[in-house]
Amino acid sequence: MFEHYLTAFAAIFQPQILLALTLGGLWGLMAGALPGISTSMGVVLLLPFTYAMSPLAAFTILVAAYCGGITGGSITSILFGIPGEPSSVPTVIEGHSLAKQGRAAYALWIFLLCSIGGGIFSVFVMMAATPIIANFALRFGPPEYFALTMLGLSVVSGLSGGSVLKGLISCMFGIFLATIGTDGITGLERFTFGTTILLGGISFITAMVGLLAVSEIFIEAEEPFKEYKGSANYRGMKEEMPKFSEFKKNWPTLAKSPIIGTIVGALPGAGATIAAFLAYGEAARTSKHPEKFGNGAVEGLMAAESANNASTGGSMTILLSLGIPGSNTTAMLIAAFMIHGLQPGPLLLTQRPDIIYGIFVAMLMANVFLLGLTIVGIRLFLQLNRLPYSVFSAAIMILCVIGAFGLNNNMDDLYLMLAFGLIGYYMRKYGFPIAPAVLALVLGDLAELSLRRSLLLSLGDPLILVSRPLSAILLAAAVISIVYPLFKKPKMLQGL
Amino acid sequence: MKKDEVAANFVIIAFFVFMLYDSFKLHKVQRFGDVGSGFWPILALSAASILSIILLISSFKKYQRTKKQAPGEASRSPAAETDLKSRRKKFALSAICLLGYILIMPYVGFVLSTIVYVFAFILALEERRKPVLVLSPFLLTALIVIVFAKFIGMPLPRGVDFFAAFSRFIY
Repeated sequence: MFEHYLTAFAAIFQPQILLALTLGGLWGLMAGALPGISTSMGVVLLLPFTYAMSPLAAFTILVAAYCGGITGGSITSILFGIPGEPSSVPTVIEGHSLAKQGRAAYALWIFLLCSIGGGIFSVFVMMAATPIIANFALRFGPPEYFALTMLGLSVVSGLSGGSVLKGLISCMFGIFLATIGTDGITGLERFTFGTTILLGGISFITAMVGLLAVSEIFIEAEEPFKEYKGSANYRGMKEEMPKFSEFKKNWPTLAKSPIIGTIVGALPGAGATIAAFLAYGEAARTSKHPEKFGNGAVEGLMAAESANNASTGGSMTILLSLGIPGSNTTAMLIAAFMIHGLQPGPLLLTQRPDIIYGIFVAMLMANVFLLGLTIVGIRLFLQLNRLPYSVFSAAIMILCVIGAFGLNNNMDDLYLMLAFGLIGYYMRKYGFPIAPAVLALVLGDLAELSLRRSLLLSLGDPLILVSRPLSAILLAAAVISIVYPLFKKPKMLQGL
Repeated sequence: MKKDEVAANFVIIAFFVFMLYDSFKLHKVQRFGDVGSGFWPILALSAASILSIILLISSFKKYQRTKKQAPGEASRSPAAETDLKSRRKKFALSAICLLGYILIMPYVGFVLSTIVYVFAFILALEERRKPVLVLSPFLLTALIVIVFAKFIGMPLPRGVDFFAAFSRFIY
């Protein structure tokens, strides 16, 4: 194992990989900091740049953008009170209150140190847990994989938005999309309606670009014309560096929050937003000064920031060990694996340890780099908020077009992208969450193949799905995760 | 709950039911022990259809309740109506710009279609500052061509005839 780490460190310190790390981190910070772009959109827009890169450079730039996006969302939250990401809402509450009290730089230091701390903690958990889970997953057969995908889909549907019903419909739509094209077992064409464009199935990237990025631009395009935004009352960070005693005083929160973040991040569909809210809620519940929450509580800011960044490691652990994406952003990474001819999952650790250990080290280094990049680039990110949104959205749309076209150099993919953009627009308009559809599109194929392989093994006996203990436990958990939110949803998560 | 949401639910149900009908044709193709090509889509589409019907009923009930509680609120104010029309117009223009961009790109090539697209799109977004309207299409296209065609070497569409010769001159 240590030789893999040594090789990975040697590979990461090559100039082109360091450049990828820096550019990915900067892009992610920028995407997170700008309210019009989400982390997942930032990552999907980077995909076309990775087509010509080596796999390690591609994953380095993508994971750096992923970590940067989660971190960057808090910059505008603290300074402008605008959450760059949904996970930054607790940061707006506490961080922006501090900024209004004239302590913006102090709040930025707290956010930055806690974010990076949480991120690094979760990377170490990922390094330790991925090989263990992957080894365990090697014993998985088709029934366990079917149950696992069902658990993933059920959790995603239950947690992804205000309406569980709409989440489930979105999930079923994604499963349906995954069935389009040639059936992997019988070779039969499904829902192609005689066209060749759908014969190979719907490409993840085209669908994701359309559903996530193009639809977002359509939504933003409707808004009244945006002039330059005002700049924040921010001077410099040197003067307001927090003392070590501030962290020592809040050690229980600093110890609990990254653990909450990592565990929640590992749950499919939960992600950074739920992690941040749960840790924030827990900090408020156990605080000696709960009255300060909502008025610039440093403890609340620490909890939210440690947890949302820690969710990245948890999410990546499940992706790398089981091949199951837990969020939109990790679903993009699945697409990136496929572009480079790799199949994420337990076998990848033994087949391509250079990639897996490279990703471990890249994520660790990304968190370290983000500390410097944020301090150096904070003024630049603030200036970016002054760019005319019209030009910015045109640039994003062109990147979407290049991303969809560059995959197969096929114009048909652009029509599909537009169609998914329109579908995504109407889904957003009518309150259907996008994440379940995207994740079901990625997981649907695996779920169907696992189910049918299980039934082929048992000669058609469906009891194979519940007669194996692990499969039965996972299926039971899937049922609970669908039924539970129908009856009870934690108050603080309502409306997310 | 507004009328258009109820109408949207009808469209969703129609889509899922149509696809469900189509998926029954697939059900016959299977191997021994296999559930067949149609099983999984039928399962997903049946669930989707049932859930959509439940959603329609609950949307309709909410709509009726809102109408009873505050009859005036069910219809929009003139200001809200104007705002809605403006939003719909901007969305439609953005979508038409993108469709036009995709349609002309294979014929006129990436460079010229992108210049035209950026100009039309930012105009549709109500950008009226002349320097931004004039400069940004050229600067943005130049930046994209340098990064993707020159640096990454991606084969961007070149167009046909004269346009192909023009594109070859650039990348």
